[in-house]
Amino acid sequence: MGSDPESLMPLVYDELRRIAAGYIRRERPGQTLQATALVNEAFVRLAAEKARPFANRTHFLAIAALSMRQILVQRARARKAAKRGGAPQRVTLDERLLSAEGPTVDILALDEALTRLAALDEEQARIVELRYFGGLTVEETAEAVGSSPATVKRQWAMARAWLKRAIDATSEDGLDAAP
Amino acid sequence: MKREQWERLKTLFNGALDQPPDTRHEWLMEQARGDEMLAREAAALLRAHETAGGFLEDPVTMLPSDLTEIDEPLSGTRLGAYDIEYEIGRGGMGIVYCARDVRLGRRVALKALPAVHDADAALRERLRREARAAATISHPAVATVYALEEIEGRLFIASEFIEGHPLRSEIERGPIEPARAHSIAADIARALIAAHDAGVVHRDLKPENVVITTAGAVKVVDFGIAHAESINTRLTRPGDAVGTPAYMAPEQLIAGATDARVDVYALGVVLTEMLTGRHPLAPGRRATPVSASEIAWRCMQTDPNDRYQSARDALAALERELQTRRPVPLDIAGPPPSRWWWEFHQAVVALVYAVMVWPTWIARGVIGGQEGNAVFVAVLAAAVVAVTLRLHLWFTSRFYPAELAWARGRAMGWVLASDALFATALVVGGVLVDDTQPGLAVLEIAVGIAAASAFALVEPATTRAAFRAADRR
Repeated sequence: MGSDPESLMPLVYDELRRIAAGYIRRERPGQTLQATALVNEAFVRLAAEKARPFANRTHFLAIAALSMRQILVQRARARKAAKRGGAPQRVTLDERLLSAEGPTVDILALDEALTRLAALDEEQARIVELRYFGGLTVEETAEAVGSSPATVKRQWAMARAWLKRAIDATSEDGLDAAP
Repeated sequence: MKREQWERLKTLFNGALDQPPDTRHEWLMEQARGDEMLAREAAALLRAHETAGGFLEDPVTMLPSDLTEIDEPLSGTRLGAYDIEYEIGRGGMGIVYCARDVRLGRRVALKALPAVHDADAALRERLRREARAAATISHPAVATVYALEEIEGRLFIASEFIEGHPLRSEIERGPIEPARAHSIAADIARALIAAHDAGVVHRDLKPENVVITTAGAVKVVDFGIAHAESINTRLTRPGDAVGTPAYMAPEQLIAGATDARVDVYALGVVLTEMLTGRHPLAPGRRATPVSASEIAWRCMQTDPNDRYQSARDALAALERELQTRRPVPLDIAGPPPSRWWWEFHQAVVALVYAVMVWPTWIARGVIGGQEGNAVFVAVLAAAVVAVTLRLHLWFTSRFYPAELAWARGRAMGWVLASDALFATALVVGGVLVDDTQPGLAVLEIAVGIAAASAFALVEPATTRAAFRAADRR
């Protein structure tokens, strides 16, 4: 097996889900997981295993960020489809708690905007994916994209502004009004 | 937006951020003078930046269930003696979960069979029987079935949890190196032998059902159970296709036949797919399955009687293949250069045979009577058969190399017989012509002897050069 992201993703993906399942069984209602904590826990657990197919921690984190984005987008899509299909929605206590927790990001809108950003500037999109979905710090992100922290900060600022604008434009008139 | 525009926008945006906040917009207008659009774009970005607040600043948060549930509520719950961890995958037939058996503390793959109504007591019994039969298969290349569980009225099959990737994902990356492809096929054949010996036919063998474990071993999953499901599908959703048509043997598709040879057929399809990276019936290929190897070709014969009659026979062929050579997928690699002399030999012999019909016609007149006719007819018949077959072989070698071994196997007996007849008839004709036409007699006898020695000495040499390994069999 090679060490390309595609072949490693299922491994990371499963580990993330296994950790989440553990939280559910321990039944801590209303508990939310943060990407940073989750991804680091997954790394610690996988690093403890004998065969470690990852070049290094940054390599792992980059794959984890990509996995996280995919899982959450898939989940958001399924939810949206369930709403549209009129299937009875399971609104759990957790979900109601979460929605009262201030501004949340529409994952599907973000994913779509991020894909468009990637067409303009692949590095900026990657930085957003690493920081938002993987919870990486500026320094970790810089290492992952092979750049300096100062450059990452600048790229991050512009990407964030561009995405904010793209998502706001889409949600305001529901059309493709992004720049 | 074009690349250079984006780069300019980036420069402007970064430059503006370096200015004190209250002069940024003025600075921007100054810099972007003459390019209205770019100025507006940069200003809008700057405003978005100023009003973005905490947008995306904190990494995403989620509920544990966001990771475990896609749209099936079982993940993260306890079901009988199983802690369901997460969904592994799903097909039209059922959902498979990764679960932990809390009694034994081991991880299992738990497959939820489609809901069966109480009225379907017979079907339920059938599923039980199938699962019980599958559970008797014990082989390292077979995912072990542990139990059939009935929990809250639903049927689940617990089997060995395998960490790895499906063969499908390897095939998607392109053709698999032939030695490895044949070795995987051999492992699949071993799994099939174990199953067939236990009276279980897989019936739905395909690259999705073959898993390469993280340790590199081959495991065939879903034995027997796939069939149980397809019965169920048929009952619950009439009109739906049963099984996976692309991997089903013709007699299975048409008549629903399910003897062990349908698995042999599917093995051939999987082997071809591994060698070529494509399904043998994929668009753009000829309608008849063209094999990448003789073995796959034999497996995929339309008439089950023309296939290997058992997985054991297929395995024997695969093992021979693995032992004697590193097979080259001729389909892809083209003819190896060493076959040139063999092809040349075939073409020259065909030409000489055809030409020799003419002097024999003259000899017939010289000899006269029944004997003359007999010699001529023998030479003509032998030449027609030999020329036809040799040209057929030559053509196959040039254009359908994958089928050459098989074509040779079929034709060589006739070629040898016609060669022998040709040589004998020529020599006899030459002797009968005797002294009235010495030149003709010598020609006939000489070519006759030449033909005999060519097929005794030259042909084996060119054949050895072209089919070294193949002829050691």
